[in-house]
Amino acid sequence: MITLPLEQRLEILADSAKYDVSCSSSGSNRSGKAGALGNTTSSGICHSWTADGRCISLLKILLTNACIYDCAYCLNRRSNDISRAAMTPDEIVDLTMNFYRRNYIEGLFLSTGVIRSADYTMEQLIYVAKRLREVERFNGYIHLKLVPGADPLLIAEAGRHADRVSINIELPSRQSLALLAPDKPRESVINPMRQVSGLIVESKEARKQSRNAPHFAPAGQSTQLIVGATPESDREIITLTEGLYNKLELKRVYYSAFVPVSSDNRLPALPTPPLLREHRLYQADWLLRFYGFSAHELLDETHPNLDMRFDPKSDWALRHLELFPVEVNRVDYEVLLRVPGIGVRSAQRIVQARRGTRLGEVELKKLGVVLKRARYFLTAGGRYLGGIRLDGPRLMERMLAPTRRPARLDQLELFAAIPDASALTGEL
Amino acid sequence: MTTYCYDGSFEGFLCAVADCLEAGEGQPEFTRNRDRQAGGLFSGDMRETVTDRASAVEFRKRLVEAVSQEAFATARYAFHSRKAGIEQLLWRYLVMGLQVGGRLCLMLAEEPVHSVNRIARQVAHEAHKFKGFVRFQEVEAGFLYARIEPEADILPFIAPHFVERVGDRPWMIHDLRRCQAAVFDLKSWRLIKDVELTSEPGVTAGEHDYAALWQRYFQRHAIAERHNPKLQQKHVPLRYRKHLTEFKSPRTPL
Repeated sequence: MITLPLEQRLEILADSAKYDVSCSSSGSNRSGKAGALGNTTSSGICHSWTADGRCISLLKILLTNACIYDCAYCLNRRSNDISRAAMTPDEIVDLTMNFYRRNYIEGLFLSTGVIRSADYTMEQLIYVAKRLREVERFNGYIHLKLVPGADPLLIAEAGRHADRVSINIELPSRQSLALLAPDKPRESVINPMRQVSGLIVESKEARKQSRNAPHFAPAGQSTQLIVGATPESDREIITLTEGLYNKLELKRVYYSAFVPVSSDNRLPALPTPPLLREHRLYQADWLLRFYGFSAHELLDETHPNLDMRFDPKSDWALRHLELFPVEVNRVDYEVLLRVPGIGVRSAQRIVQARRGTRLGEVELKKLGVVLKRARYFLTAGGRYLGGIRLDGPRLMERMLAPTRRPARLDQLELFAAIPDASALTGEL
Repeated sequence: MTTYCYDGSFEGFLCAVADCLEAGEGQPEFTRNRDRQAGGLFSGDMRETVTDRASAVEFRKRLVEAVSQEAFATARYAFHSRKAGIEQLLWRYLVMGLQVGGRLCLMLAEEPVHSVNRIARQVAHEAHKFKGFVRFQEVEAGFLYARIEPEADILPFIAPHFVERVGDRPWMIHDLRRCQAAVFDLKSWRLIKDVELTSEPGVTAGEHDYAALWQRYFQRHAIAERHNPKLQQKHVPLRYRKHLTEFKSPRTPL
């Protein structure tokens, strides 16, 4: 596996790593050290975007794509006939340092297939991180994958070198996991998440007492769910997400539209990945984290899936028209956040600006508030911005109506009316 | 109407503003030394402003006390957009700030605050993007060299970031558009004006290898089933691609 030239192995391993969607380099803020390479910024930095429009922030790569497990949804499963390759820890360290120095990347995201045993694999990952931190004095971002079933002591060590650690749940329910990933019991994923969550809280407390207390995964932990490979409803997914944010204090839950990477008969045959559903789930995820919504408000038994026609907030607002319209000059920040089309930034600007002046439609536009959807839910100085008041179904129709673009004006042509100009020139 | 002539730097502009305030100007004009026209038909008197760091620092202190740190930062970002007429706009902004005080930052929907904020936001946004878009090459002279062509004059905003990040090597970020460069010598960075290359810098042997590896990695990392060049172009506009290693074809020289 190490006999292939480096560039080919890099391609094979990048290919195998690209379905893990976690990419962010945010959440950690560490200043540079004199004479050493690297720092981290809390907002994270994207360095490039690939042809699918996803950002590249970290060098996302596997140590090896050989794996002893046989999870049906995974490209690298044992039974799949693909090229296998591996990198030595030195090669990964060298690539990371040299890519980072040229400012191609923000750090390393290291994952791997499971070889020999969970503990052995975890040790390999930790070894790379340790080399980077201790020998090369690399001070940039490191995201380490935790191997399901690895020893708790190894997990505790991983978080001391990495900025972020993650372990992927992949499938939202126990049944799906048992069906598609028979080698990975749910406990082998959830227990490390619990442990990491506890260690992060502990290290934060310790650092309040003493600034020299060691960090543990200062950028927190994340996970990924595959969408569309199994029959779970959006409600199950969003409720699980809410639990992960509230109980285990995850920084991010990523959703990955299922791309059929195998023809296993346990998996659905999808013509295209469910990208719109993935997008709606991210919108709902943002509503949970930044807009004060809870899962049961967005979805319930009668309404188990997100509406593909609307964003989840518009959908919620259309079911709660009795709460609207609200007066933009008076209403609380929390309520503004619930108006469709108004985001965190717009809401903050409105709250700031209305202390100075009275806001009307013109002022709102100047603040950069997009009124396309918001106008139907707002009054400004007592005046309803949506024109005629509509009831639920008609408002829905209005919001779904395509925005009219002016008809294309074609350049007038002298002979446009005559189908064939050769009739004029006589060269029939 | 008096025209104030300053050296083109932000400090120089602050000194010019301080001079105007002292002279009790109502509607001054500002011009950079290098664009100065020799007395046009309607030009009033010209006044030369001497750039003096102490008086610029003093003006900053006055502004921060009267308005806020945020207003000063906004003005600094907006100034570096180098748009035509930005000086007059900032003059109105600063004078209004000194009149109304801390309320300035709340007047988001009023002119000139709205325009200044918008321009400042564009510059800050571009500066953030370039923290990712700078591409260093290892040149034979033994340091890292990068070329950029941003819309705004963002070097003062990104240089401190790279001082923190690449603190173990000397480097130079060359803004081709404005012929200036930020240069770091392992201790501190400074801005050098009128930089021109006399010949193409030679890169080290390893440089081509790493660039080629990066290009292959970049190509393979896209998921074909999710192909979305429009989204890609939204994030990496074509005008930025000229100096990005991953968008060059593998055979062109770096």
